[in-house]
Amino acid sequence: MSPDTATRPKPPPKWPYTVVGLALVAIVLVAGWSLDNAKWERLPQFPAEILQYAGQMLEGVLTRPGAHPEGQADPELTYGDWWLQALRLMGESVALAWIGTCVGALFSFPLAFLAASNTAPWFLRVPVRTFFNAIRAVPEILLAVIVMLPLFGLNPMAGAMAIGIHSIGSLGKLTLENIESVDQRPVEAVTAAGASWWQRIRTAVIPQMLPETVAFWLYRFEVNIRASAILGVVSAGGIGALLNRVLRGREWEWGGIMLVVIIIVTILVDQISAALRHRILHGADTIAVAA
Amino acid sequence: MSQATIERADGGPAPVRPVKPPPSPLLIGGVAGALVATVVAGWAIDFSLAPVVDQWPMLTMILEEVVHPEWEEITDPASRLWTALAETAAIAVIATFVGSLIALGVALLGSKVSAPPAVYRVTRPVMSVIRSLPDMAYALIFVAVVTGPLPGILALTIFNIGIVAKLTSESIDAVDPGPLEALDAAGATRWQRARVAIVPQVLPNYASYVLYVFELNVRASVVLGAVGAGGIGQLIMLYFNRADYPRLASVVIVIFAVVIAIDLLSQRLRRRLV
Amino acid sequence: MSGSAPGGGNSIVFDGVSVVYPNGTRGLDQVSLTIPAGEFVVVVGLSGAGKSTLIRTINGLVPVTAGTLSVGDTDVASARGRRLRRLRAEIGMIFQGFNLVSRRSVMGNVLTGRLHDQPWFRSLLGIDTKEDKEIAFQALERVGIVEKAWVRASELSGGQQQRVAIARALAQQPSVVLADEPVASLDPPTANLVMRDLQRINRDLGITTVVNLHFLDLARRYADRIIGMRAGEVVFDGPAAEADDAVFEKIYGRSLTAEDVTA
Repeated sequence: MSPDTATRPKPPPKWPYTVVGLALVAIVLVAGWSLDNAKWERLPQFPAEILQYAGQMLEGVLTRPGAHPEGQADPELTYGDWWLQALRLMGESVALAWIGTCVGALFSFPLAFLAASNTAPWFLRVPVRTFFNAIRAVPEILLAVIVMLPLFGLNPMAGAMAIGIHSIGSLGKLTLENIESVDQRPVEAVTAAGASWWQRIRTAVIPQMLPETVAFWLYRFEVNIRASAILGVVSAGGIGALLNRVLRGREWEWGGIMLVVIIIVTILVDQISAALRHRILHGADTIAVAA
Repeated sequence: MSQATIERADGGPAPVRPVKPPPSPLLIGGVAGALVATVVAGWAIDFSLAPVVDQWPMLTMILEEVVHPEWEEITDPASRLWTALAETAAIAVIATFVGSLIALGVALLGSKVSAPPAVYRVTRPVMSVIRSLPDMAYALIFVAVVTGPLPGILALTIFNIGIVAKLTSESIDAVDPGPLEALDAAGATRWQRARVAIVPQVLPNYASYVLYVFELNVRASVVLGAVGAGGIGQLIMLYFNRADYPRLASVVIVIFAVVIAIDLLSQRLRRRLV
Repeated sequence: MSGSAPGGGNSIVFDGVSVVYPNGTRGLDQVSLTIPAGEFVVVVGLSGAGKSTLIRTINGLVPVTAGTLSVGDTDVASARGRRLRRLRAEIGMIFQGFNLVSRRSVMGNVLTGRLHDQPWFRSLLGIDTKEDKEIAFQALERVGIVEKAWVRASELSGGQQQRVAIARALAQQPSVVLADEPVASLDPPTANLVMRDLQRINRDLGITTVVNLHFLDLARRYADRIIGMRAGEVVFDGPAAEADDAVFEKIYGRSLTAEDVTA
């Protein structure tokens, strides 16, 4: 049989993909070229230098905690003191992230009902949504330096509140999306039975969106622990301030200990939080899989 | 209707009404645990809202200055503000591009669908460790080698690899296994499976993750400058240390506008993708 | 067909083949069969009877636990890596769920049947040769769906998707075609069309064809030979004409009802 090639359709053009691809590469190249002070020629030095620092960090981590580090002002100081101090400050970071998350959850939850299209009229929705978007757009560090540090001074309360306010924005947006994605049929049934606005929300909306929302709170807690490190740079509490000072002073042994504490505590909290989220979302019958 | 009138059709005695079960111990434990954690955390950071009242005059003084931003910084296109912002944008673009490209490869190595067990069992924990460090920590280490935009780019690149690789490898875990079986049955190699059946399936998700980290990078590169890694963060620290609140306010306005614009743009793109 | 016609079928020989899954389930129990080249065989049985296992051992998707199995001159059980991929390239497979990459075009999906023939650098860049495209077009023409070549697979109906899947198998230029419940997700008229396609391909190209079906009715209409399976064992093996109601009872463990023949 001889195929009738005339009836075969023509392939669609490929050039749109090529154009988009080339445009992307061009944007990146222009961006690279615009950074005239980037010192690209130093790039090849990075691996060797980073490896050297990492080696010194590892040395600090592996030294017996009872030993005394060299070159420190206090001759009594031991590596063990560094470990304890790092743990205490990391604890403070976790604590301020937790409080920040609580503040975010507490305020975002009721506000989200005023911002969802299925629970609020437009004249409430628009201002509340704008509020969420506005506070999400201000990075925590700016919130900290302009509002929280003048109020609370250089201590963890400032960091906790900066994280808390920022979290209202991001949690509010996620919560309102959860509210909007609930199954409308039970809500309709409750309405048909003569329920008030509040009764509809309590009996038909909240039961549907609560598990996802609590899971988001836990996820936000994980994100906030990382964010708290940034706030340390402006001394708004947590491990960040000391990490900033130690690494900038090139105290690699000390810094290594701090980084290991950060890694271990963060992974530990992540694992616990992931297990809890899995339990909340999927119930007890399935087994959580560690990431 | 009184209870006595309800009778079973077969005339037998009405079954015992079950008692409402108590809330599960896990739920009670969870709520109690959260309360205890909150009390302990509050104690650890000396939680107190008293300063809000005590320090209110201080805040109003600063806000007084903030509401009078230095407009000249914003209107003059050659100002330090715009130069620093351009640097921040360039850092975010390069870090997103390079980081996302590498992350796609890492994601393929990190899923049990695309990689042999020996490979993904190593890749996954390494990814966890990379993600556990905040971008700030990477920036601090890289700044020790050289200052300027380069350490910022590298820090964000690593940060992006961590996030995009994790999310993408989770998408790969969830791809429809049917086409994979078809390719196995057709004698395809591991690479061909990945290119033909896995990548096209996860591409919309991947693109959406890339836009998501670009949003994060614009925010993060604002901050990285605070430790000397280039971009607008350096200005924030400078004005903060000088207590030059009018100039700081002009920075806030610009960042606010840029972040909102990029959020909106990327949300529209992402909605079209998925 | 111009130059690219496959060189007829291959025979398949099972000799005492058993399959035990890692969880202890017995998939096949001492199966011995000879399927000569070019035959159209339909395997029938309840779900869980071992049909899928039987068909998947032929291309090594399910490893054989005991016994020997060969396709043409190749021993399946011992094939690994490159040799297994070469064997699979010779065997086209069609699935109940079509298993197309839904975000790729029909052409892209059919061309996956040519992957085995691609050197690594071409598969790295994703370049398909003119010859491969010609083979893919001919395969599409054979199942009569060439006009959809550049449409996304997800936009086709179930019957069209299954024809694309058949074209993909044909593009491998196979000597054996395996079809695992190819019509279970289709409505009866479409099911008959797809079965007719498979039958025509078997007749025209002489490709050995093994099809799993749930229903005896379709099997009797299209098969040269019917193999009935129950609990991992072959309980019937004979020409389609001999598969009467008594045979049905042996396979399904109960007598025929109206429901069973309406497919």
